[in-house]
Amino acid sequence: MFSTRKRVIATGALIALVAGLTACSSVGDSDGTDLTGKDVGAMANFKAGDQFRATEALDFSILFSDHPNYPLQDDWLLWSELTERTNVTLAPTVVPMSDYEQKRSLLVGAGKAPMIIPKTYPGQEQAYVSSGAALPVSKYLDLMPNLSEKIDKWELEDSFDGLRQADGEFYLLPGLHEDVWQDYSVAFRTDIMDELGLEAPKDWNEFRDVLTAIKTVYPDSYPLSDRFKGDSLLNVVSMTYGSTAGWGWEAASWNPDDEKFEFTGATAEYREFVEYLHSLVEDGLVDPESFTQDDDSAIQKFVSGKSFAISSNAQTLVNDYRPAIIDTVPGATVAKLPLPAGPAGNVVAESTRLENGIMINADALESENFTAMMQFIDWLWYSDAGAEFVKWGVEGITFDRGEDGKRELLADIDYVGVHPGATTHLQKDFGFAGGVFAYGGATELLESTFSDEEIAFQDVMKKKDVLPLAPPFPLEEAEREQATLLETPLSDTAKQATLRFILGQRDLSEWDDYVTELEGKGMDTYLDLVNSAYERYAATK
Amino acid sequence: MVKVDHAPPVLKLRGPSPRPQRIRSSRGEGIFQVVNVVILLGVVAVTLYPFLNIIAQSFSGESFIRAGEVNLWPRGFNTTTYQLVLSDSMFWTNYKNTVVYTVVATAIAMVLTTCYAYVLSKKKVRGRNVLIGIAVFTMFFNGGLIPNYVLISSLGMTNSLWAIVLPNAISVFNLLVMKSFFENLPEELEEAAQIDGLSTFGILFRIVLPLSKAVMATMVLFYAVAFWNSWFQAFLYMDRADLFPVTVYLRNLIAGATTAASSGGGNDLAQVASNIQSVTMVLTVLPILCLYPFVQRHFVSGIMLGSVKG
Repeated sequence: MFSTRKRVIATGALIALVAGLTACSSVGDSDGTDLTGKDVGAMANFKAGDQFRATEALDFSILFSDHPNYPLQDDWLLWSELTERTNVTLAPTVVPMSDYEQKRSLLVGAGKAPMIIPKTYPGQEQAYVSSGAALPVSKYLDLMPNLSEKIDKWELEDSFDGLRQADGEFYLLPGLHEDVWQDYSVAFRTDIMDELGLEAPKDWNEFRDVLTAIKTVYPDSYPLSDRFKGDSLLNVVSMTYGSTAGWGWEAASWNPDDEKFEFTGATAEYREFVEYLHSLVEDGLVDPESFTQDDDSAIQKFVSGKSFAISSNAQTLVNDYRPAIIDTVPGATVAKLPLPAGPAGNVVAESTRLENGIMINADALESENFTAMMQFIDWLWYSDAGAEFVKWGVEGITFDRGEDGKRELLADIDYVGVHPGATTHLQKDFGFAGGVFAYGGATELLESTFSDEEIAFQDVMKKKDVLPLAPPFPLEEAEREQATLLETPLSDTAKQATLRFILGQRDLSEWDDYVTELEGKGMDTYLDLVNSAYERYAATK
Repeated sequence: MVKVDHAPPVLKLRGPSPRPQRIRSSRGEGIFQVVNVVILLGVVAVTLYPFLNIIAQSFSGESFIRAGEVNLWPRGFNTTTYQLVLSDSMFWTNYKNTVVYTVVATAIAMVLTTCYAYVLSKKKVRGRNVLIGIAVFTMFFNGGLIPNYVLISSLGMTNSLWAIVLPNAISVFNLLVMKSFFENLPEELEEAAQIDGLSTFGILFRIVLPLSKAVMATMVLFYAVAFWNSWFQAFLYMDRADLFPVTVYLRNLIAGATTAASSGGGNDLAQVASNIQSVTMVLTVLPILCLYPFVQRHFVSGIMLGSVKG
């Protein structure tokens, strides 16, 4: 009997081992850019602006993030027209948007990932670099004329450098924005502001004045009660103080004077920003619950007239606030106000120009259709025609051009509420303007679906200066592990202390103690890692 | 399953011993009763409120939900969302999948678990301890996510019913509960049946199973609820939306509602209204909710039998 048990265990162990090995075995290290024999179906002389069309019918597998608002349909015009134009059929592996990242890592880990893996945000590809699962796409940019042209024309070289790993290559084809696009700001009850004769604040001091004026009339209220756990507010305020926090938090920030990185949470700019927010909370202008309450509570306070300002983007404005407040507070009007300026000037940060993009399964390199696939991706995601196609659809079927060249959806098609009551929907019934293919791009295209109000907002935002990007510091794999181990507790400490300082639970006179705590958690070791990686990078430039 | 059946004889011995009603309950006991009732009513309120709130939301207008004005009673009563969700063909496709997966998975699980448990309950079976060991081993160790995925996909089971139904066919916990139930059936019954000429399977089907309705009902409930609620297997192994169970549909819907608000990606528009979420939740929970009261009686006696005397 004992031997039976032993045998069972041994067999089990063997199965586990074999499975493990299969999972770990990665792609062969076919280095270099020798692509002979891999151009089946590719166009011989594919240039920027050309319509890509495979010379024979091709199939490419793609991971598809399924959005619950417009679930994938096999009969979408998107699919048939795509095949019609490019001779390529996409074979989607459908993954619910809710757990896209988990399935992606599972499929890549198991070696069963589709060739094209979109909806990968910059930074997420790092996990797949060392195992060799992601293709170093920077080696193949010559196959992608549209992308190369955009990088040149939109001056994205620096942004792309930020994607480079320690080996100097990058492994992600990001989505691009022509211009910096700052969507989030703070929305105000404009009817109250008009009533009190208040102007839109130009800087954060005026912002405080507006809140104070509201507070004097409504002394029992907190004029600003925020959502997003305060992350949006922290992000936009810190940005104009020349620092990062909230959604935009970066542990290391670049000091151009000393030409090295500092720990963000210990800089003078950061302290100034924290002091400002603390003063708002101290004066009762900002609800202390802003940093802990869930979104619904914050929205409820705003739409029931208990608070008068809340963080917002273009969509939350029209989806969350306006429809609800009409019923509860008659006569209320809400608008997103342009971002106030701060000590760093009238600025926005540039970190927003790279969007989620495409990671390519390294196995694709083995395919004889590799070149065709890269050309196809280049056309679909990076050419003007491709970008218009995935967003607006087909001229004459989904949209028409007005006399001024402005695109207009046909009358029976709805999208972002342009034709309420229409029987079909651009996303649901045609598959266009979906998150997998259409995002960012040229400003003209991006703004083509904006409301007039949002365009006016963006026009103000565009007049702002853009803060320069921090240089990259590509870490090697072992370094990255160490850096993460150091950075996580450091960031946690900084974020926790930030909130306590802002809320007044900790006195700002203890700032030096806080910096000492950071040092105790290895701040200097972390900065050494980052700075030496930067110097290594700078030396190769 | 709904039919009332007789509790196994053993249970009768454990009923409350008859006590003369005349004895006055002491003051302390009275206070205890009051406190007990109050606390339990509190617990009932706390557990019931979210559910009633969801039901109320499912019939309410969106702006009232946003303003937080919906509690136990719908505000701005309407059924348009029900009509909307019920007219979504994908919802029904996924709902049908859930029913199919649950029924098939429960059936397979019941057959396998019963057979396995019955064998394990026979002390005379050689290698019984090894068989128990193999089962218990899987309670604590497994291959992990990726090896499992590689295994299932190498077996060609992805995008099929089998990927959901087979890997979790035997829940070791249920197996052990059932095993100890079988162990407690009087051996003499089976011996008598054997003398009367029944085969092993005959004994199982004609003697043991009819005496095990309580535990069977409990196991059916355990398995059915688990399979009804499960989404992860389907999420892992299914690559097409029309194969997902309704739980994946619901999960995605709720995720869509929360991310649309915060992503700011100019395209993921049209946030899912929160009463669509509540409608979907109500529709998903409903069948299990209807099933519960009928099976619960067996459920209580079944689990007690297995565990107490194990």
